[in-house]
Amino acid sequence: MAIDGLIILDGAGRPIVQTSFQSTSPAYPLIHIDAYNNALTKVSRPEDVDPVLYVAGISNDKPSACCHVGCGDLRLLCPVSGDVDPLFALAFIRTFIDILQEYLGHVSASTLRDNFDVVYQLLEETLDSGGHPLTTSPNALRDIVIPPSLLNKLLSVAGANISSLSAASSNPFASPIPWRKANLRHNSNEIYFDVVEELRAIVGRNGVSLSSDVSGKINTNCKLSGTPDLLLTFTNSKLLTDCSFHPCVRLPRWSKDKCLSFVPPDGHFILQEYRYSPSSTSHPSALGVNQVPIPIMLKPSVMVNETGGTIDVTVTSRLTTRAIEDFSLELYLGQGAGAPNFMVSAGGSWAFDPRSLILRWEMATVPASSSHTFRGSWISSVPHPRSAHAFRTKFAIQGHTFSALKIDQLRLSGETYKPYKGVRGRSLVDVEWRW
Amino acid sequence: MSFRAGPRKGENYELSQDLNSEYRDKRKDAIKRVIASMTVGKDVSGLFPDVLKNMQTDDLEQKKLVYLYLMNYAKTQPELVILAVNTFVKDSDDPNPLVRALAIRTMGMLRAEKIIDYVSDPLQKCLRDDNPYVRKTAALCVAKLYDLKPELVLENGFLEQLHDMVSDSNPMVVANTVAALSDIHASVTSQPDHSPDDPAIFNVTTSILNKLLIALNECSEWGRVAILGALARYKTEDEKEREHICERVIPQFQHVNGSVVLAAVKVIMIHMRGIRREDLLKQFVRKMAPPLVTLLSSPPEVQWVALRNINLLLQKRSDLLQNEMRVFFCKYNDPLYVKVEKLDIMVRLASDNNVDALLSELKEYASEVDVDFVRKSIKAIGQTAIKIDSAAERCVNVLLDLIATRVSYVVQEAMVVMKDIFRKYPATYEGIIPTLCANLDELDEPEAKASLIWIIGEYASRIDNADELLNMFVDTFTEESYPVQLQTLTAVVKLFLKKPDVSQGLVQRILNTATKDCDSPDVRDRAYIYWRLLSSDPAAAKGVVLAQRPPISLSRTTVSPALLEELLSEIGTLASVYHKPAETFIGRGRVGADSVQRKGLDLVDDQLATQKALQTVAAGQQSENLLDFDDVLASDSQPSGLAATTIIPQTPAAANLLAGTSANPLDDLVSIFGGGGMTGTPSAPQNPLGELSFGGDNGFGSPINSVPPSQLGASSVTSPVQTQKPQDDLLGLF
Repeated sequence: MAIDGLIILDGAGRPIVQTSFQSTSPAYPLIHIDAYNNALTKVSRPEDVDPVLYVAGISNDKPSACCHVGCGDLRLLCPVSGDVDPLFALAFIRTFIDILQEYLGHVSASTLRDNFDVVYQLLEETLDSGGHPLTTSPNALRDIVIPPSLLNKLLSVAGANISSLSAASSNPFASPIPWRKANLRHNSNEIYFDVVEELRAIVGRNGVSLSSDVSGKINTNCKLSGTPDLLLTFTNSKLLTDCSFHPCVRLPRWSKDKCLSFVPPDGHFILQEYRYSPSSTSHPSALGVNQVPIPIMLKPSVMVNETGGTIDVTVTSRLTTRAIEDFSLELYLGQGAGAPNFMVSAGGSWAFDPRSLILRWEMATVPASSSHTFRGSWISSVPHPRSAHAFRTKFAIQGHTFSALKIDQLRLSGETYKPYKGVRGRSLVDVEWRW
Repeated sequence: MSFRAGPRKGENYELSQDLNSEYRDKRKDAIKRVIASMTVGKDVSGLFPDVLKNMQTDDLEQKKLVYLYLMNYAKTQPELVILAVNTFVKDSDDPNPLVRALAIRTMGMLRAEKIIDYVSDPLQKCLRDDNPYVRKTAALCVAKLYDLKPELVLENGFLEQLHDMVSDSNPMVVANTVAALSDIHASVTSQPDHSPDDPAIFNVTTSILNKLLIALNECSEWGRVAILGALARYKTEDEKEREHICERVIPQFQHVNGSVVLAAVKVIMIHMRGIRREDLLKQFVRKMAPPLVTLLSSPPEVQWVALRNINLLLQKRSDLLQNEMRVFFCKYNDPLYVKVEKLDIMVRLASDNNVDALLSELKEYASEVDVDFVRKSIKAIGQTAIKIDSAAERCVNVLLDLIATRVSYVVQEAMVVMKDIFRKYPATYEGIIPTLCANLDELDEPEAKASLIWIIGEYASRIDNADELLNMFVDTFTEESYPVQLQTLTAVVKLFLKKPDVSQGLVQRILNTATKDCDSPDVRDRAYIYWRLLSSDPAAAKGVVLAQRPPISLSRTTVSPALLEELLSEIGTLASVYHKPAETFIGRGRVGADSVQRKGLDLVDDQLATQKALQTVAAGQQSENLLDFDDVLASDSQPSGLAATTIIPQTPAAANLLAGTSANPLDDLVSIFGGGGMTGTPSAPQNPLGELSFGGDNGFGSPINSVPPSQLGASSVTSPVQTQKPQDDLLGLF
């Protein structure tokens, strides 16, 4: 009724792994693979393929839909028949990708092939042949599917039967808390919170940002023994709007006094996601928006003429104490672009990808309050090149959050030890500058 | 190749050797290699007996791999799997719950008739297992068994057991039980002749409701979706209960997983219908908006689903997201499908307050690289002009700026949009006609050409050199496409009626060419009618050709109200993403417009009127068929083949004439000839037929294009027919 199965395609559109489909026709997965590959040939950019494709049935079969998500070179397809939520399939694919990442580290065609036995087991455990996702919580999964590790490989070469050893958890799912393993023991009890905020903005020609929003999440890595009951309080929790939480968080407590009370899962998880909007605290301005200041200033000057164009961009960091990291600026130059010739100020590098026609300027670090330039020209073989009218800049700032969210304290009850706590902030910025 | 022994060498032979090795790790490694060969499509079924020998093992991983192998070949070689049944049954009694669950799950997946009978006993035990993991696995197995052999499930009392399990202490078991019961329910109700008191029908009762509401907060995201699905089907008894459900479900909006959020939105939309307290409704709607907006910072495919659903919700509740238009501003890097959807929503949210911001955005988009997107943005400018009267002038100025860029496709699209604006605001922007005419040479698309010609014809009396301009088109008349020919013909006749002295020769020439040298029957027919009119009664001709056209407006909804209600209760499903009723694409038989109407009747009282209108039109159409094509098409409401091409252009007006639905026959002629060619769909928004056709005439999966006023050119000839026969569109879709 729900998801019919999962197919993983490699970069060339050939299937690597697929679940056993309950459908009577063996052609069923094949027509979905075809449908996707056909759709791919019709678009100029692979990401432009509609995420839900209509797939006509074979002869008298009823039609179905193909939901797909990309992951690096790979494509994961989820055929669905019947009137189900496409988001359900899409969310499942994302979850499965996360699980693969957790198990394999890097997900690619070769790692999948190397660990196909693990991948198969994961598929079996996460998706029932009737289309119901089963166990997707990493905590519970680790009980039933053993992650491949170097140690495992060494031991199996040495001839030791490790599976029967490490699959010691003979009583899986016995834990009263579905997301947490029972009877955990860690030598050092520690918990880390990573507050990551991403600012997405569009800046207009006049340098004023047209729309901007900050979405944040608290990535947590928990290594605590037993069943710890945590209470996390923020000093300025009112700034956070539209929150969503990991299921472990007790919602009534949050709505009462904006404290996070929870028994955490073990390992990595996302505790909370939120939007930060300064307009919620003060009166919205005339335009109905209150802007989060963008940490850099960009002065673009682009001239496009019949045979090519020139670019002169100056980037100035508005930050006074912190450095900007992993700065990149991209511009699509348009069909026929070539012969780029650019100069960058010290510490930067540039590249032009002749396939995607994207010009890229990169700097590993931009020191506080510093200014950098990027100038040069390119030649177009097509008259009147139509290049993108927007630069895209991306960068990160360590130790900085836009909301200045502060954790006030973390109280632990239910266990006797004192955990080590760590909090880190990081900002990612993705801004589009029109010129 | 079972008739001869396998070769003594080769990969399979080696594998078979290893599978029978005395060393454990060698055997396990061999199984892995077998599975690897299986995945790349090699036939390793010959190794079946060898693999089967390795089934009895303490190594769970190895067991899983052997099971995997069995499942793969169970479909093609069921007789071999029988050999494994004993191990399955034994495994379902294993002390390790993982093994028990694995055994019962695998048995459920082996869709071999011969095995089924062995499943009952182990399943009976597993449903009562101590371990929740085994119980929840067994619950799903019942649904699969029902799919294969319903009698077996009924005989063994598995259904009753499932109903008991709804009260299980473990929320995950509850969720899986609900999923299994819902699956069984769905497979029963999809049968056309199921009886309403079939035991397999899963009716959510009040006592079940409370258990579900408790389990909802404690189970996994997938479990929540299953439970919310069941809650959506619950028939509430009174308003209080509805409020209670809504209040309990609203916290689900804060779940990280988007599909939980959408499933919750769906439950609220359904149970909100029966709530009359306005303050409560407002509160629900207010709470619904933020989680949907939050989904917009997700990966693009999630954004798209969210946007499609937001679009639908906005059609019902236009107050949603009133101040959030900036969230929908398109980024350069957004995939096209996201941009198109955002554009549509932005126009929907347009109001006096934000129209300036919207226009400057749209102007920005019109300079982007992607041609499709540029065209859609320009269309959106036209839609804004038609939607907001006070902003029309600003829109026209933006369009003029765009025309000044001289980029061919921008100019052409702007021309089409301009025509709609002239249509909506007659005699307001005559000053810009010279600018438009200056771009005459750049137009090469029929739709743009036809638009400009329409404008010239419409304002022939104000354009000094209208006859010269039209003369150019008359010269090349036979080379033009049909929409352009039709427009040229009409425009010249208009010119003649307005300025008879200068265009006598021109009109004569075009009527001659159109009736003699033109191979389109539509063009010929129209020319004949004009000729007749002009020669017999010029006053009547004036009345027909220069009549007032009905005003156009931007329809608030892209689907009919009845369909909208249906889709809203399906929020988050494929139906709501495609903006089409589920029956049209999941193949439970074809659906006609009238069945959509029938559904609407339960929901919306005033649909009776619609039904009547539909019948009138259908009757008119039929009488038309009877008169003109007395034998073949009389009983067939869907003309086909050659007949269709001739009947289509004349159907709407003629049908109305014959059905006597119109007081003034001339009006109808106007609607088809004076306007029909140009106006696209001259439907007022309250015309349910017109709206239905928009639900139908969009390609499956392609972004819905809600542009009634600008359906022109190539589609202009057929568009009256779409209004006429929505059921054909829906039928024709699949």
